[in-house]
Amino acid sequence: MYTEIKHTLRRMRGSIIGWGIGLFLYGIMMALFFSSMESIGGLVDIFENYPQEMLAFFPSIYEIMTPQGYMDTYYFAYMTLIIGIFAVSAGGNLLVSDEERGIMDLLLAYPVSRSSFFWGRFIGFCLACAAILIISWLGWVIPSGTSALGLGAIELLRPFLPLFVILMLFGITALLFSMLLPSARAAAGLAGALLVLNFLLVGLANINQDLQAFYELTPLYFYQGGSAIEGVNWVNLSGLSAVSLLLAGLAWWLFERREIRVGGEGGWKLPKLGRVGRGG
Amino acid sequence: MDRLASFTTSDEEPEAGIIVEQVLNDRESVRSVMGISKAIEITDLHKSYGSVQALLGVNIDVYPGEIFGFLGPNGAGKTTTIRCMLDMIRPQSGSIQVLGINPQKDPKGVHARTGYLPGELNIEANLKVKNVLRYFIDLRGDHVDWDTALQLAQRLELDLEVPVKNLSKGNKQKVGLVQAMMHKPELLIMDEPTSGLDPLMQQEVYRMLRQAQAEGCTIFFSSHIISEVESLADRVAIISMGKIVEEAEPGKLIKMEVRSMRIRFKEEVDASPLAQVPGVTVQSLTDGRQVTLRVEGDLDGLIKALAEFPVVDIDLQRQSLEEAFLAYYTSGSKEGS
Repeated sequence: MYTEIKHTLRRMRGSIIGWGIGLFLYGIMMALFFSSMESIGGLVDIFENYPQEMLAFFPSIYEIMTPQGYMDTYYFAYMTLIIGIFAVSAGGNLLVSDEERGIMDLLLAYPVSRSSFFWGRFIGFCLACAAILIISWLGWVIPSGTSALGLGAIELLRPFLPLFVILMLFGITALLFSMLLPSARAAAGLAGALLVLNFLLVGLANINQDLQAFYELTPLYFYQGGSAIEGVNWVNLSGLSAVSLLLAGLAWWLFERREIRVGGEGGWKLPKLGRVGRGG
Repeated sequence: MDRLASFTTSDEEPEAGIIVEQVLNDRESVRSVMGISKAIEITDLHKSYGSVQALLGVNIDVYPGEIFGFLGPNGAGKTTTIRCMLDMIRPQSGSIQVLGINPQKDPKGVHARTGYLPGELNIEANLKVKNVLRYFIDLRGDHVDWDTALQLAQRLELDLEVPVKNLSKGNKQKVGLVQAMMHKPELLIMDEPTSGLDPLMQQEVYRMLRQAQAEGCTIFFSSHIISEVESLADRVAIISMGKIVEEAEPGKLIKMEVRSMRIRFKEEVDASPLAQVPGVTVQSLTDGRQVTLRVEGDLDGLIKALAEFPVVDIDLQRQSLEEAFLAYYTSGSKEGS
């Protein structure tokens, strides 16, 4: 399993470095920019003139003068969507892209159980996501001494925990879809579409109360965002983690029983679910 | 399957009988070392993909220490059979034992003792060859010595510092060969082992495979190259439309081969004497100066007959093994043999 973890991290090192550096620099910029917020007078009055449809997507915008509101509005409210692109893409491609490229055929002929292979890749994926977020977190921590935010490393770390868990949830959803749908691209696309729809629902539920009940059943309802600076909601975090692990377990179960395709085989035809299972 | 007996014990083929006896003796000694009677035992294997029946009751026995050729046209079921043996896919019914292990129950046990070279070899393109091999060695655990992989790479003149994406098909094939053989497996399963290699390197691979056989390795391979099968295999099985249609010793293959020969003459000739040569059929005669013949079996009679003709040029086209078998089965000569 360790070999697969190492290999997965090596494959994802480009993404880790690319996403990490980008978010690191963005974090530094945003941390330093906070001090200038105080000098912008009448900011809240300006927001009052914004369309309600837009403000609905940034619930903390009226608290933008506070570190919590600022970080939520300018970072954590939409980072689910931004880093979510990486999560669903990496999750959907974690195993099935190797199958589509014909690499899996050779790898599974090695004396590594499918379980070790799956969980090795899975842990590697989790570590890659964690690495990106840790580098991003450093972007906030390093300038914290000179930033007007006045937050310590631990306080800055807290909102990254729910962000990590929500990214895992959507990444694992993409992984599960890749076991059910005929291509990695379709799996990542569908999981990405669900993420975008959920993000839109955050704002739409603020505008149309009829959608609230539906919104409360979606993952982003349980996502804390910047408010986690004051304390992590461990119940929500545990719940989302449990769902993630459940979906990962289901994906593993399907992978164990999967008929590995030859490279280039398959297509967009939906598989017959009745065929999933061990033969004689 | 019944035809195997007639091929291997035929009175008409004493040399082949001696060879088979030798092979059987060798097998016995390897069997006693490995402690199993069959390296591969496939019984009544059925596999379908939806409505497509890929395997319709395949039966194969491969004995320890033998080199077994597995032949058939595209889509006949070769790859499906191999992938069932390695638990990539699961059959609907039938049984498989590889080195005495059921791959559906203990795939890891089979994989630990097997080396596999897929027909379509795809490797992580961005890694250097040495990093790919190190990764494969890590996957094998403690069973592989880096020096062994290095020796194999040197023998195949494989540059380890090149990224896989820059390798030619032949060099990629060398990576596949090294990874399949580096742990000195008890069983090698190879789909087109010399695909993409130049003739010199093909010879080197044959030597490596014979050496592996001498060390007790059983080799199960598919190939399209008739000379490769003739020179390597102790026995062959031919699969067609999901069924084993023939098991034979490779010496029989040449008798099934049909060649097309185009002969150009210096002047107009009467080609009718050529049609009298056993196994020769005149397919066309152009201007009395060019004749196209279909030749079954060896060329001795035809060459002797041609000595009487003013020959300017001969163009001989050999069929692929699959074409030879297709022709063999459709011409009705099977019944006559």
